[in-house]
Amino acid sequence: MEKATERQKILLRHLNPIPSSSSSSINHEPSLLSSVNCVAELSPMAAFGDDIVIVAAYRTAICKAKRGGFKDTRPDDLLASVLKAVVERTSLDPSEVGDIVVGTVIAPGSQRAMECRVAAYFAGFPDSVPIRTVNRQCSSGLQAVADIAASIRAGYYDIGIGAGVESMSTDHIPGGGFNSTNPRAQDFPGARDCLLPMGITSENVAERFGVTREEQDMAAVESHKRAAAAIASGKLKDEIVPVATKIVDPETKAEKAIVVSVDDGVRPNSNMADLAKLKTVFKPDGSTTAGNASQISDGAGAVLLMKRSLAMKKGLPILGVFRSFAVTGVDPAVMGVGPAYAIPAAAKLAGLNISDIDLFEINEAFASQYVYCCKKLELDMEKVNVNGGAIAFGHPLGATGARCVATLLNEMKRRGKDCRYGVISMCIGTGMGAAAVFERGDSADYLSNARVANGNGH
Amino acid sequence: MPVFKAPFNGYSVKFSPFYESRLAVATAQNFGILGNGRIHVLELAPGAPGVTESVAYDTADAVYDVCWSESHDSVLVAAIGDGSVKIYDTALPAPSNPVRSFQEHAREVHSVDYNPTRRDSFLTASWDDTVKLWAFDRPASIRTFKEHAYCVYQAVWNPKHGDVFASASGDCTLRIWDVREPGSTMIIPAHDFEILSCDWNKYDDCILATSSVDKTIKVWDVRSYRVPLAVLNGHGYAVRKVKFSPHRRSLIASCSYDMTVCLWDYMVEDALVGRYDHHTEFAVGIDMSVLVEGLMASTGWDELVYVWQQGMDPRAS
Repeated sequence: MEKATERQKILLRHLNPIPSSSSSSINHEPSLLSSVNCVAELSPMAAFGDDIVIVAAYRTAICKAKRGGFKDTRPDDLLASVLKAVVERTSLDPSEVGDIVVGTVIAPGSQRAMECRVAAYFAGFPDSVPIRTVNRQCSSGLQAVADIAASIRAGYYDIGIGAGVESMSTDHIPGGGFNSTNPRAQDFPGARDCLLPMGITSENVAERFGVTREEQDMAAVESHKRAAAAIASGKLKDEIVPVATKIVDPETKAEKAIVVSVDDGVRPNSNMADLAKLKTVFKPDGSTTAGNASQISDGAGAVLLMKRSLAMKKGLPILGVFRSFAVTGVDPAVMGVGPAYAIPAAAKLAGLNISDIDLFEINEAFASQYVYCCKKLELDMEKVNVNGGAIAFGHPLGATGARCVATLLNEMKRRGKDCRYGVISMCIGTGMGAAAVFERGDSADYLSNARVANGNGH
Repeated sequence: MPVFKAPFNGYSVKFSPFYESRLAVATAQNFGILGNGRIHVLELAPGAPGVTESVAYDTADAVYDVCWSESHDSVLVAAIGDGSVKIYDTALPAPSNPVRSFQEHAREVHSVDYNPTRRDSFLTASWDDTVKLWAFDRPASIRTFKEHAYCVYQAVWNPKHGDVFASASGDCTLRIWDVREPGSTMIIPAHDFEILSCDWNKYDDCILATSSVDKTIKVWDVRSYRVPLAVLNGHGYAVRKVKFSPHRRSLIASCSYDMTVCLWDYMVEDALVGRYDHHTEFAVGIDMSVLVEGLMASTGWDELVYVWQQGMDPRAS
């Protein structure tokens, strides 16, 4: 490979030469390449032993809250299934895990944290492995992964699991927005807007940035179409952990044992005509309907991270590399714009341009904000939510970030060397956006990461 | 006009000095960057417009140049990317080929040229900054000429003086050597950029042409080497090969990364006398037949070898 690179350098110098005075000695200098930017670009990031890598990422199926496959499944059982999977499928000794961080949103804090500890026992973890929760609303799953990556980098431990779980069958979103008993909140416009129901923020985005009902419905149809195609092709089997659970008939109260392994929120026959019939939910003359908003769902996801050197020592395959993470605050009244700010920030931290990103998973909290963010960042829609998004699958709040890691990295693996960088991003209720950049698992191959030459030389 | 499609990207084409319908082609996989190589020996069918392959030799690395022996009509010498120089004899069965493999150069061998006057030796130019002199029957090189500071792209014998040759290098100098002398006899800083090729005038032994990354061809007289006789502009990118015609004293053929093959008359004010744009990728190899006046061949990274008569369209069938 060295030889091939050397030959390329020599050939490239014929096309993009550097003038030399007769007195300077020309040796085979690698610094020449910095002036030549066609064909193989040297990556801004080579592969180092202390890179934080993902060796496993799994999720449960995502099911409709209260009516779907997980309606009678306890959240700790849900979480336990993915925690067990990441450890079992990598043949890792559970006692080696340094910490587990679980993103979870609606449930009461201490109660849910206790349930997570219980779930760890269910999954076979010993006393010695600690666990905690994190809550940054919709980004909690991604934040959990970022926290683990940061802690490994800080040297707190070598192996960690970033997870997320939400059972919206069990815990309810406050229907008309958050409640604040503090009257002072009304005196600060930002604070007051934090209390807005999410649907109203969606209407605000649609109105302020001119996203039409038609555009939103089209995005919804596309989401269902892509999700249905992904399920039909069997792609998602790689990332889904089947969960053996029970379902209780609401009338007869009879229990039945089932295995849930397919996302049940997807409507393959979704079409514009049917969506147009739906009434708007949040504003009478608005555009956000149940059809073009994410579904309320149950689900869990878990991601196993460690240093590259450790993964190689253990002989574990590297699914992806955690490159950067950024969270930015935005106006709570239009919280949906979060990704439009967070994605450029995360890309910049990773030393990349948005045009360098080959695949995106942007949470479709509402079609209005999803469409706006994609337009604002001028994204190629062939690279965004290629296997469908939250409108089709559902948005189990705390789990979404972690489940997107499984979906993104598996798709990048499938796409091969052309798909080097991926981004996961979501808007966050109360006005934030989070984004993380991942790199595909195999090390960079200089010859294969060719980019289209931008007219400089040949 | 005959066209041959090779499986790999073309690098060099040479007419046989013995048979007017025979040529050798050097090719390399993946543009010569990584992979194998192949040498094709082609026959032009008399009368019919076809080209047939009479034999092909596979090599483990790219073949950057090939030349015919002047002493044996079936022997060719190949310059290989792994630093070896291999000798093939088409008269021998395939398993006995290559008959010799010399592994001395530390880097890619970029060109090979057979001595047309003495007919007993050949030169190789390599990216290891050296030129080596070899004889067919000696197990090792006779001499190594090490003066250039960067890749030597070509070394060409003088058509009249059997001990004199010129070398073109990426260190931007053209050097004239005499094998009887310890070092180079003349150093001409011919261009400000890498010199990719050089060739001697077949009718005036003091005149040579150099082609460079600066997109020009310069014609030099070694007797007054400070200023070129002519500077030929017209190529859009680096000029990869330059060749003086064996039949007309001031005619030069050149091929370039701009995918064209050009003909020049350097004695004339408007020097560009012909341009052929038949290649769809870098044109990197050309040759003019000694036996048939006006017959030319070219090859390029588009995997095609064209043979045509000057003045005709290479793509005409």
